[in-house]
Amino acid sequence: MSHIAKIELVIQSFDDLKEACQKLGFEFVENQKSYRWYGRWVGDTPMPEGVSVEDLGKCDHAIRVPGCLYEIGVVKQKNHFILLWDYYSVGGLSEKIGPNAGRLKQAYTVARVTKEARKKGYRVMEKKTEQGIRMVLTA
Amino acid sequence: MKEIVIDISDDGEVCIETKGFQGKACLEESQFIKDLLGKETAKKLTAAYYYGKEKVKKYLQLCG
Repeated sequence: MSHIAKIELVIQSFDDLKEACQKLGFEFVENQKSYRWYGRWVGDTPMPEGVSVEDLGKCDHAIRVPGCLYEIGVVKQKNHFILLWDYYSVGGLSEKIGPNAGRLKQAYTVARVTKEARKKGYRVMEKKTEQGIRMVLTA
Repeated sequence: MKEIVIDISDDGEVCIETKGFQGKACLEESQFIKDLLGKETAKKLTAAYYYGKEKVKKYLQLCG
């Protein structure tokens, strides 16, 4: 062992996000400018950085998850994307995408790392663990 | 064997661990993964990071 690092994921690749959606069976709708949510801000959670109440419901693209009433908004901010969604149980998203959209972030990370690591000549192995997914890159 | 291990939890948390590297090579080799994924929020260096090629000489008093 040499070092351990924690990373705060930032979605930088549009193509890898689309690929993640495809792998999960979600529909990525480019240029859809609004996403379905409760429709009214009730103030029960902090607003994501750079987002105001007026921004809610608006997006640059949207993700539709089968079986869910609500949708996920994909918003471009500077050189990355953020995901906006309503986790109200009625919408069904929390159950399908996991807490903090974990399942979607997992799929995105796998897509991104696999593609770029292979370009650099790494062999990539992936396996399911109790806590999530483990990827092992070997040169 | 040199490995870069990436654990992604079900709630989206990412942890990177390097194994089998000596010295600063672990940081250099894994930097591209960190750049791909986002911001590094914490780092812990392990004993192998400090292992170098210098030999440490120890003098032991054997008698008297």
